[in-house]
Amino acid sequence: MHFPKSRKKEDGLRIMEKNKKATAPLDKRGKRINSNRRRHRGRLISIGYLLPSAVGLLLFFVLPFLIVVYYSVIDNPISNQFVFLDNFVMVFQNAAFRQAAQNTFTFSISAVPLAVVLSLFLAMMLESRIPFKSQFRTFFLSPMMVPIASVVLIWQVLFHFNGMINELRAVFDLDKIDWLNSAYAQVVIVILFLWKNLGYNMILFMAALSSIPKDILEVAILESATPFQIFFHIKLRYISSTILFVTIMSLINSFKVFREIYLLKGDYPYDTMYMLQHFMNNTFSRLDYQKMSAAAIMMAIVMVIIIGILFLTENYFGKDVEG
Amino acid sequence: MKLGAGRRKSLNEISLERWDTVVKRKKRWRLRKKAVGVTLKTVIAACFAILFLMPILLTITNSFMGASEISSNYGQVFATNDSGGKVYISETVNLKFIPDMVSFSQYITVLLKSPEYLFKFWNSVILVVPIVVFQLLVAAGAAFGFTRYRGRVKEIIFFIYIILMLMPYQVTLVPNYLVSDWLHILDTNWAIWLPGIFSPFAVYLLTKYMRRIPISVMEAAQIDGAGEWQIFRHICMPLCKGAMCSIAILIFIDYWNMVEQPLILLSDEQKHPLSVFLSKINAGEIGLAFAVATIYMVPPILVFLYGEDYLVEGITYQGGIKG
Amino acid sequence: MKKIYMPSGRKGIFKIIIITAVTLCLMAAFTGCSKGGAEQAENKDGYVYVPEYKEFAVKMRYLNEITASGDKAYAVAMVQDEGEEDTYRTAFYEYDLLENTAREIAANLNDDVNVNSLLVSADGNLVTAVNQYEYEEDENGEATDVNMTMELRRISPEDGTVINSQDLANVITNIENSYIQNMCEDGQGNIYLCDGEQGIHVVDKDFKKLCDINADGWINSMAASKEGDVYITTYGENGMVLKKVDLAAKKLGDPVEGIESGSGNVNFFSSTSKSLMQSTANKLFLIDLETKTSEELFDWLDVDIDGNNVDIVGELSDGRMWTISREYSETGDKYELVYLTRKKASEVPQKEELIYGALWFDSLTRRAIINFNKSNEKYHISVKEYGNDYDGSQLAQFNADLTTQNCPDLIGLTGLDFAQYASKGIMEDMYPYMEKSGLNKEDYLENVLRAYEQDGKLYGITSQFYIVSTLAKESLVGEQTGWTLSEMLDFVEKNNPENVFMYGNRESIFRFCIYNNIDEFIDWESGKCSFDGEEFIRTLEFASKFPEEVDYNRDEEGISSRLRSNKVLLMENTVSSIQEYQMMNGMFGEKVTYIGYPNNERNGNLIQPSGGSIAISSKSKNKDGAWEFVRSILSEEYQDNLVEDNYGWGFPIRKDALEKQFEKDMTPEYYEDEEGNQVEMSKTTWGYDDFEMEIMAASKEEVDAVRELLKSADRLSGNVDSQLTNIITEEAEPFFKGQKSAKDAAGVIQNRIQIYVNENR
Repeated sequence: MHFPKSRKKEDGLRIMEKNKKATAPLDKRGKRINSNRRRHRGRLISIGYLLPSAVGLLLFFVLPFLIVVYYSVIDNPISNQFVFLDNFVMVFQNAAFRQAAQNTFTFSISAVPLAVVLSLFLAMMLESRIPFKSQFRTFFLSPMMVPIASVVLIWQVLFHFNGMINELRAVFDLDKIDWLNSAYAQVVIVILFLWKNLGYNMILFMAALSSIPKDILEVAILESATPFQIFFHIKLRYISSTILFVTIMSLINSFKVFREIYLLKGDYPYDTMYMLQHFMNNTFSRLDYQKMSAAAIMMAIVMVIIIGILFLTENYFGKDVEG
Repeated sequence: MKLGAGRRKSLNEISLERWDTVVKRKKRWRLRKKAVGVTLKTVIAACFAILFLMPILLTITNSFMGASEISSNYGQVFATNDSGGKVYISETVNLKFIPDMVSFSQYITVLLKSPEYLFKFWNSVILVVPIVVFQLLVAAGAAFGFTRYRGRVKEIIFFIYIILMLMPYQVTLVPNYLVSDWLHILDTNWAIWLPGIFSPFAVYLLTKYMRRIPISVMEAAQIDGAGEWQIFRHICMPLCKGAMCSIAILIFIDYWNMVEQPLILLSDEQKHPLSVFLSKINAGEIGLAFAVATIYMVPPILVFLYGEDYLVEGITYQGGIKG
Repeated sequence: MKKIYMPSGRKGIFKIIIITAVTLCLMAAFTGCSKGGAEQAENKDGYVYVPEYKEFAVKMRYLNEITASGDKAYAVAMVQDEGEEDTYRTAFYEYDLLENTAREIAANLNDDVNVNSLLVSADGNLVTAVNQYEYEEDENGEATDVNMTMELRRISPEDGTVINSQDLANVITNIENSYIQNMCEDGQGNIYLCDGEQGIHVVDKDFKKLCDINADGWINSMAASKEGDVYITTYGENGMVLKKVDLAAKKLGDPVEGIESGSGNVNFFSSTSKSLMQSTANKLFLIDLETKTSEELFDWLDVDIDGNNVDIVGELSDGRMWTISREYSETGDKYELVYLTRKKASEVPQKEELIYGALWFDSLTRRAIINFNKSNEKYHISVKEYGNDYDGSQLAQFNADLTTQNCPDLIGLTGLDFAQYASKGIMEDMYPYMEKSGLNKEDYLENVLRAYEQDGKLYGITSQFYIVSTLAKESLVGEQTGWTLSEMLDFVEKNNPENVFMYGNRESIFRFCIYNNIDEFIDWESGKCSFDGEEFIRTLEFASKFPEEVDYNRDEEGISSRLRSNKVLLMENTVSSIQEYQMMNGMFGEKVTYIGYPNNERNGNLIQPSGGSIAISSKSKNKDGAWEFVRSILSEEYQDNLVEDNYGWGFPIRKDALEKQFEKDMTPEYYEDEEGNQVEMSKTTWGYDDFEMEIMAASKEEVDAVRELLKSADRLSGNVDSQLTNIITEEAEPFFKGQKSAKDAAGVIQNRIQIYVNENR
């Protein structure tokens, strides 16, 4: 593959370091200065490692985002008149945007915690000695392999007005529900999301659970702690940082569920399935870049706040365990 | 590791005799209760497993159905209206796992009669593999940069990475189009490759992981005279091998299913990956879709078979260091 | 530190075996396909082709056949001898392409002979397939039976002597229904006769039959490659494919990979430098069959030729290329002989470049652009066609380009929602330009201009248009033009017909009621929708009374008698000519009213631009250049020419030209009967379904009626967002299928459209 090329470049770096290393001991100004200089140099080098990614990010993510910021303060992409915050006011007052924001919020707030709790539950179950453990693990991961189009196809067959689920309900004399065109639509999406993401989250939790030192658990058993106590006082504590990690990953994936909704119902689904991405996607295709950009920036601000809170909590809990 | 060692020592203080008897008694007491528990858990896990496996099985088995069987099962589920939009209407939906008659006709069509599917499959490979390889390489460097010599500026930059990672692609798709156009890479594979390679996703995951490697490990090496490159190459990389593999799987799955980017950035349909085709299936091709989807699933399944243990191990290790 | 993970145990080995096996299989599958990848080598390196238009040395009315070998072409054409008007004869020519001179070959072709196909054999002689008609006459000299024989002849180009001939009845079994559309000769001198439907018949150089080769499906074209093989094109699953005729195996080979065929008008011609030449609607390629590559020579548009009109292309020994372009015209096809010289781009005077961007490049605009490029000294327009896929990705690219520096100077609006784009400020107001260049607003149909207006600004234009409307008997609906939805529903319910339309089904009737009437259900001011209201539900229920599926095959009475007996009340149709209007009145058996689509304003006759609407981009850096083009299609000359050539479909928008059109339609045509009297004869015959009618010159009343109609419409058709109609179609379906109540279906439609409305306020 392409390793040799990059290694060659790094070799040059190494030779440079070697030369410097050779001169370092000759420096007579004492060890402290030497180490400070080394630290300084190391810091510079570490920035060098960061550089390729940072440049790429600047070009393909930061620059586009700045363009989005620009679009959000002009009246439209054709005449490019500066309008300051008008777009934000307009979008904020837009009924469709509010609907989308509300749906996205309810979806995330329900799907993400469910994903965390259920996957932790699954992980705990597989933790105990049950047969076919590794097979089960593979099965739970299998949804990741299925192409989205097949997923959508099968979801259609299940949740269609005359689909399997309604046929099952008919057996029990229950009324048909128009799953995709009613308030239940969001339930369908949450199920889809969980089905797709539980497996990976579960793996993360299994890893965290297995890393809890056995001795501590054994001591706890010795001390006659109830399983309830063990779970809340020991396990949960040890996996707290994993919980936050899983939460962030689930949050990322919760935004990706748009693709499935889109393939299920197109640009304008039933209003309970209408997400912020729909709003952005549609305003984009109608050349209303200013609306899309304003919505995106508002979303970004909310995101910054949420992630900020999550990080502060993580730092707090993380330190707690390490200490 | 240090912590673990310390605790083991404290355990040794317990008299061996007492240890043995207490633990054995408790274990026996729990054994009977456990047998019921294990059965219950296995049943629950099996139920979940069936739910999780169903779509993948359905896709595979249905791909061996002849066109007539498919249309009789899903008859009117996927009818197409004049304007090409999908209309889902059906009298009965017939979800079937086992084909009445095994037929390879769909595969023959896909593999032998119309080479375009294979071309598209090849396009997928061409598009995804470089992204996975180079995103990992770039990310490894960046993660190392973020791990070594942490400072306020770096933390802020890292936070920016996270925010950008969480941005839905709808937001940056248009500006990305503009940037690609500006760089004259529109309609070439580079338009997909470059944003993919510099995606912050792997940087985030890998940094999270690398930061868990105790600083002492690196510092020890540094004191032994290792330069940054040696630390990166001989300490960080081997430690991160598992993590890299598991991240590679995630990236692969993500890009293997991409739809929007090629649609907007590659106007030449000849260059589109198979995932784009799959998302556009219409009524007449529904039988083919199962076969194409099955073929399309082969690489992810291979990746999983190869990497599942890495996936688990990669994350397990993360915990290992912590404990 | 942990060891690198190695799969161990039985499970691990099993996994490795599976993985290796599958990987190997996949690799094996793909080595085959990566080889055949289409490679397009662009070999332009600063060279361009410069066209040179020549008059034919022969003045001909119609070119029957042409073939070429090196610098010589042979042609069979209908010509008119000097002094002899109104009589044409078929003549045979040898054409020296280098000198542009022609020599007639005395081939003795009389009126009853029709040269079917022509080729130049390797020995220098010509091979022709000739139809000979023999009429059996009764005692009055009237032909009673026609007897056709077909003959293959080898003739000398010198004096036309027949060297060898063969009755093709010996070769082709079903000779009466055959037509030799194409002939080729391979390296051995065998001759391949291509009979479009039945396949290929092969004879040796002495015309002895060798074999028949069957082709599944229609053979589009046939050409001999430089290597001496014969290739044909047929329709494959994805457009046209090129296949080799395998004489040894007596069948067609597999499709040649790597040759991009496209789905449009694709033709192959023999070449002297590479294997074959391929001409598509847009471009000309040289094909190398050995390496399976194709090299683009030039874009037809760049040499001001419509690729669809190319009859033949060839290479000359002096390095030039030649082609014949044939343009259809009512007054006889127009032929042009064009020489193309390859020159360094720097040596050719460069014109200012304009870009015309559209989702779909229509033939009317293509013709206008070619004419403009040919005649304009200063500007040259090139075309960027985005394509019109349903997934909307091309639209997304088009939109993205509109906002950037890539913005086309001229925008073709086919497939776009005019009102939406106009409101975004993408298009330039054309009124100031009209004023500046002295074009009078009053010279054009005001209502058409009004349809393209927004806030008094003219954002788009078309050169030609027709009306889309709905017809009913005047005796039933009165003279009013236009009605509201409820009036329309009342009318149909009162008359209680078998069906609203001839082939109406629930969906199409519903579509008729709603799609051009969306504003009735959306109040953009308040953002309120009323799709769950009474009117909409009534319409749903109304439509559901009609059949779900149309049985086109049912043997039933024709449209005309059903309309006359009021079994069918309405008909959706266009008004693209007076003749069409005349026919419709004839079909209904009485005067019709063009009542149009139902809507609140009662103006349901819609303007449909033929070709497409054109706009100037407000981001264009060369708006004056862009206007030059728009001016050219609005010019008196161009508009009159539309009438003279009867090109396109519809009416010109310039009032003078429109009157000329009417005049033409009112002018009767006569023939002389045996007594020498002038008798008016029909101008043409029009038909619809099973109805057919001879059209005479239009009366003044008819012309006035059509003029009124043309002037009454002031809305563009097709300005309803397909997003809306898709939602309605999709969600109304379960109701029409009887799965949901009308109320439930309407509720879902209301819900989904409400989002659309909210979003766009």
